[in-house]
This record gives sequence, C-alpha cells and structure tokens, in this order.
Amino acid sequence: MDLRTYIIRRLGLMVFVLFGILVITFIVSHVIPADPIGAILGPQASPELVEKIRREWGFDKPLHEQFFDYIYKVIRGDLGRSIKTNNPVMEDLLYFFPATIELATAAIIVAIVIGIPLGIISAVKKDKWPDHISRIFALMGVSMPVFWLGLLLLFVLYYKLGIFPGPGRLDPGIPEPPRITGLLTLDSLLTGNFEAFINTLWHLALPSFVLGYYASASIARITRTALLEVLTQDFIKAARSKGLAERVVLFRHALRNALIPTTTVIGMAYGSLLEGAILTETIFAWPGLGRYSTGAFLSVDFMAVMGSTLLIALVYSLANLIVDILYAFLDPRIRYA
Amino acid sequence: MKARDLALVLLLFVVGAVIGYFAAGPGKVTTVTTTVTTTVVQTATPTITTPTVTMRTPADTLIIAMDTSDAVSLDPARAYEFTSCFVTNQLYDKLVDFELPNLIDVKPEVAERWEVSPDGMTWTFYIRKGIKFASGNPLTADDVVYSLQRVVKLKQTAYSVLEPFLKTPDQIEKIDDYTIRIKLNKTVAPSFFLSVLTFTTSSIVDKKVVEAHEKDGDMGSAWLDDHSAGSGPFVLEKWDRESQFVLRANPYYWKPGQPYVKTIIIKHVAEPTDQLLLIQKGDADVATDLTPDQIKQLEGQPGIYIVRAERLHNVYIGMNVAVKPLDKEEVRDAIRYCIDYDGIVNGILKGAAIKWQTVIPKGLLGANPKTPYYKDVNKAKELLAKAGYPNGFTIELTTPPTYPQIDIATKIQADLAECGITVNIVQMTASMMYEKYRKQGLQMVLAGWGSDYPDPDSNAMAFANYRIRQLAWRNSWYDDYAADLAEKASIEMDTKKREQMYLNLTDYILDHGPYVMLYQTVAQQAVRDYVKNWLPDPTFYYLDLSKVRKG
Repeated sequence: MDLRTYIIRRLGLMVFVLFGILVITFIVSHVIPADPIGAILGPQASPELVEKIRREWGFDKPLHEQFFDYIYKVIRGDLGRSIKTNNPVMEDLLYFFPATIELATAAIIVAIVIGIPLGIISAVKKDKWPDHISRIFALMGVSMPVFWLGLLLLFVLYYKLGIFPGPGRLDPGIPEPPRITGLLTLDSLLTGNFEAFINTLWHLALPSFVLGYYASASIARITRTALLEVLTQDFIKAARSKGLAERVVLFRHALRNALIPTTTVIGMAYGSLLEGAILTETIFAWPGLGRYSTGAFLSVDFMAVMGSTLLIALVYSLANLIVDILYAFLDPRIRYA
Repeated sequence: MKARDLALVLLLFVVGAVIGYFAAGPGKVTTVTTTVTTTVVQTATPTITTPTVTMRTPADTLIIAMDTSDAVSLDPARAYEFTSCFVTNQLYDKLVDFELPNLIDVKPEVAERWEVSPDGMTWTFYIRKGIKFASGNPLTADDVVYSLQRVVKLKQTAYSVLEPFLKTPDQIEKIDDYTIRIKLNKTVAPSFFLSVLTFTTSSIVDKKVVEAHEKDGDMGSAWLDDHSAGSGPFVLEKWDRESQFVLRANPYYWKPGQPYVKTIIIKHVAEPTDQLLLIQKGDADVATDLTPDQIKQLEGQPGIYIVRAERLHNVYIGMNVAVKPLDKEEVRDAIRYCIDYDGIVNGILKGAAIKWQTVIPKGLLGANPKTPYYKDVNKAKELLAKAGYPNGFTIELTTPPTYPQIDIATKIQADLAECGITVNIVQMTASMMYEKYRKQGLQMVLAGWGSDYPDPDSNAMAFANYRIRQLAWRNSWYDDYAADLAEKASIEMDTKKREQMYLNLTDYILDHGPYVMLYQTVAQQAVRDYVKNWLPDPTFYYLDLSKVRKG
C-alpha cells in the first residue's frame, strides 16, 4: 500500500473514532443529573424562568432528538452554542485554541531541546555520573507538580528577581497586535510589531519551560533506552570496527535508529500538550483550551464539552497519524499496511 | 545503585529546603536553619524584602487582578454573576443608585426625582436632562422605556430580579421625552422597589446603538454580550475572555471631572498566589481574591492596605424537613447546638466571615443580630433524647467539592459526631447539587445565599416563603405563618413597621426554621496605598470606579 492510500484509510478510520467519541460524550454529558441552566441561573432563579430558558436551549426535547439535532449540526460544521459564553462553540474554540497551540509548540521545542541531548548523554555515559544527574533531572521533571514549579519560578524569577514577566500573554502596557492567527508570536511578526513579539516570547518562556521540562523527562528516558539498545547491535559493531569515529557512529548510525520510539513519545506528548494544560494555564493566566474546557466541564456546558472533546480527539488522532508517517522518513524500511 | 540513592537523598534535601524557604515566606529566612537551605537562599534570592513602594503601573490606569471566570455576559439583561455585574456597573447608569457606603438611602442617577402613588403601584420618574451616551446620543425617556422593556421581553437570566413586579412590557410607558411611568402589578414597599432598580438589570442602554446591532430579533443581546452602549463613566474597549476586560473613560460622561482614571484593566487571574505576587510586586493595583492566609501575610506590609466588606451573603445548612428525623424541631435545634460556630469563623475562614445566625444579613433593614446558638454537646444530646433519638442517627450532608465548603463540611461532620450524629458527606459540583436541591432531593446541604440588591425581601421570601419554591420549599418547610409574614412585609409601606416585621420573622425562623445559619461572608481585598476611594462594597456591584483615584 502506498503512503497516500494509507493516509486516506487512516483518515477514514478517524471519522469512526470521532463519531464514537461524540456518542460517548453526548451520553455521558446528558445522563449525569446536572442542570447547566440551573448552574448559570444560580439558586435565586424561579422554576418558571429555569423552565423557560431550558426550553429556549432545547433541553426539554427527548434525548434522541437532541442527539440527532446535534449530529446533523456537527456534520455541517456547527458545534452548537455554548451556554456559558452564548457564542458558537466553533468560534470559542478558534478563539482559545491558538493560545494553547502557541504554548504547546513552545513547550515541545523546550522538551526536545532538553530531552534528546539528555538522553544521549545518559546512554553514552551509562551508569556514570552524567547519567545519574540526567536521571535526577528527569525524575524531578516528572515528579514535581507543575503548579508548584510554576509558582516557584514565578516567585523567584518574576517577583524576586524581576527577570521574567508575571502571568499573562503580554504586558498590560503593550498594545495587542491585530488578531490574524491568534498566535501572538506570529501575529506580531506579521504586523511588524517587534516590541510585542519580544514581549510575547518573554511571557512564553516560563510556562513553556514548566510544561517542556515535564515532557522532557519521558523523552530523555526513552532516548536513553532506545539508544542503549541500538548501541549493542551488530551494525554498530560493524561501524566501529570499520574505524568510524565514535561521533559518526553515534549520530549518523545509532541515533537515527533510536529516534523511532522517541518520535512516538514526542508525538504523544505534543498531543497531550495540545489538550491544554489546565494547571499551567491557570498559573500563568493563559487563556487556552484547558481553561475553556475545564470551565465547560464544571458548568456542564454540554455543547462546549462535546466541542472541546471532539477537538482534543481530533488533535490526538492527527498526532498519532503524523507520528506513523514520520516513521517512514526515519526508517525507510517501514511499510504501511 | 548506591550513587543513585545518595543522589536521591540529596535531591530530597534540596527540594525540601527550597519548599521550607518559600513556605516560610518573605522576610522569615532566618527561621530556616539547615546549611543546605542557606546555600539555596543565597544563590537563589539575594534580596528578601518587598520591592520598594513605587507606582509600577501607569498613573492613569487602574489594574485589577480578579478571578473573572464566572463572567457570562455584559448585556444588562443577562449579566447576573459577580464579575459581569461589577463590570456592567461601570458601563451604564441606572435610574437610581446607592452611593457606598450607604445602602439604605437610594440616590438619584438618571432619574433626578420620582413620585409614587399612595398604593405603591404607580411610579413616575423624571429624567435628568443633558446626559449623553458614549455614542454622543442624548439619553431620553425612549431609551429608558426601551431598556426596561427589553429586559422584560428578553426574559434572560437577570430578568429574575424584575420578574416579581414587571410581567409585561406595557407596564413601562413614556409620558414625555423626559418622563416615564412604571405600573407595578402589585403593591410593593417603596424602599424595596427602589432598591431593586439599583441592580444592573435596570441599566439604561442606548436604544439607537443597540437597535443597530440587532440580529434575528435578539434586541442586540449577542452584541451587548461583549460590547457596551451606555452612559456610564466607562466604555468597554474589549473583553478577551479568560484574559482581561479593558475599559476606557467615556468622553461624554456627565459627572464633572469623573472618571479620574482613564483606563481600567481587569486582568483575569484565577490563581490566588498569582494575585498575591502581582499585588506585592505592584503590577496590579488591587487584588480581589486572596485567601485568608494571604491577607494575613499582607497585613502591615508597607504600600498595601486591606479593604474588608461584610457581604450580603450567608452560608447555611439546609435541613430537609421531609427527611426523618429532621422533621422534629428538637432534632434541628440539637444540630444547631452541636456546631462550633467560632471554630468555623476563626479557625477555617480566619477573618473572611463573621458569625451571623439570622436569615437577613447584617447591613440590611431588619437584620437581627441575635446569636443564641453555640456549641453545647450536653444540651444537644438532651434535645436528641427528648426527640426520641438518644443514640443519634445517620444523615447525608451535600456540599460542592470546593474550598472552603469541604473544610466546613468536615468540621461539621466532626462536630455532629460528638453529639452522636453520623454525617456522610456527599460531594457534588454546584450544578449537580442545585439540580437536586431544586427538586427537594437533598437531606442536608451546605449552601450559600446572596442578596441581589440591598433589601431584606429576597432573603426573607427565600428562607420563609415556601410558596415561591425557593429555600423554604427546597427544604420542605411549609410554614404558613412564616410565609404570610414574609409576604406582608414585602408590601408594608411604612419602613419602621416593615423593619419590625422582619425582626419578628427572623426570630421565628431562628427557632423553628430548617436552617443552621453558619456565617456571613466578609470580602477581603488588597489595595496598593496610592489607590484612593476603593470602598468596601457589600455587593460587589455598587463600587463606582469613576471615583477611584491613583496617587
């Protein structure tokens, strides 16, 4: 099977996966005994008003009718309206998702830049002190709660030393660039607003480090393991006995083969970063998908819950697919079936 | 292996030391003694004192760090949450308003004077001439009539405030360009109706601007969600959801010299620790959602003062009378004698509450300061024995899974256990809890009740009158004496008599009602010392930011 057919087939499968997720989230969000209208109206509202607004939103209809209404809308690209924001969910997602894409991308870059070199050092200096240090570093990354690390960094680097800016995406004094993509870095570059660009990068630094550090741990560990395994194989012995420099053996022969599992981990890590990191987003006052979807869950905002779940599922499936495709570039022997 | 273990131990030391240092807080470094710590302290933070008091934020811009996640809409017909009402109040004028700290005497705003018929049903308002909207349009009777009718026609969330008096749009009519008349559908105490009119629902919108943004007959609602069309001191420049509100001074504002600050930025900062850092650093001028411990930490620090306001918000336990043995008055009394009120107010809430045991909060007409209940296990056990439950019983207490409710529920569980009552705590998100509560489906519930406007009616009716299907009904307390008294008080034209009725009613509920009134909330906000006129606001939406100055 060639790559194109493979991709088409995978995309086809994805439609089923997404549909399944829709069904499940619809059922789960509608059978729990919670009342989104009541939540918004608060304890004061009269039962008549609650009923009236519930009718307006169509929550008085039978469940199957609501379901088919919803599916019909989704097919036409309409994810319904959020009860909380009163906006189309699609519009909300387009508003919140870019902030998360920006943060997740910066974080995955940090994770790769930290994780892969760390993994390589660990493997090369196996069981020597660089390996131990790298292990401790990685251990700290996964075991330190992100909210704690985030607050600690803010306390030291913002409050005490004033090197980095406080929470938020941009200083209050700096006018926001006009919204084109929603990615502040890109928008400020596109509009030639370098002050905003530098400021955005500055604001990105701490949250992306916190998230990236967390993700780097697994990347470092998997790189180490994979590299160690490859280094014991015959073709490495052959390469060494050919008299190749260790540097060439390591980077040209071993690393490329070791990167396949690493790619999987990176892809999955990026996928999960794109879900929106609620804790990091809260601490750094980052208006991303994590905050939106958590808010939606807490107020039982059905449409927003289903919309964001669908988006997350889509992102995950795409990340998976891209990882699978990348395998072929890393290892041309891999065939798709 | 050994090297790794050693490294791990070392790591734990370092982490522990760092935690220890930061937990100790600024200015307390000397209390941390281990050598490891000292090194960390020296390398990480050479300076420990609070940064010097200079204004870091621009002099004409007020920056408020606030948790705004509750905000839904800034349309006065929909705005019904704390944040939405707080912001809406800066964007619009109302017919009448309260001027803090006085929440008893209503002051003229758009209406310069008014008359009410002897039966309390027909109101005439005379509108001040010369007020302009931010668009430059003059404000006339047409706008007032349109604004109030709009709320009645749209029947959105905030309509519940006006619903009891205004059922149809034709109850509001224009007499001439600067006079309007409102006919209520029933007699209402004058102070009560005026009080209701101060809520943001009655904001006057610019009819021409709103009509220009109408879409599918929504009377401009979708547009007004995140735009403003008012005559208030500020105009909404933008609302980036989950990020910030930016307000700019209205050039046409009619009160001379105001607003004093030209820009207000309300930054959405959900995490209290962030708010603490921002206010300490001086990157925010006001922080509104600090924890009691953080407030303690800030107290006495140079450059910051604390503003405290007793909120019109009570926290109570509802006891569903339909559930045995809560049907017995002795049992309900026994529960009230099991609880350590001071422990909750001082131990858990640490200054963020005052003990208050009656259903009308302190600060309102008819507020009853009696606190007859205190922890007395023997008395409680006697009452239980008298009711036929000498060995106690088992009951559920439902609470939202949030601070401080969980801590309070746990404390109550422990308190009641001393009296022999076993409490099972059931946690539910607020949306699930209210759904069940509305259907009388809970046994005991830990909940709160806030007044929308400073009049005792909303509390009295909710807690006393089962006929309106609010708190009394949800706890299956069908008491006609209490219900009648609440209804009579709401139409009493004589304020003195009305006050006495509320005192009688609160006394009655204190003894017979299905509630344990735990406390009244106190809001504590941290303000930088160069910010003037940030007044304590019992409601959150009377604070007029046009009077706030910097420097």
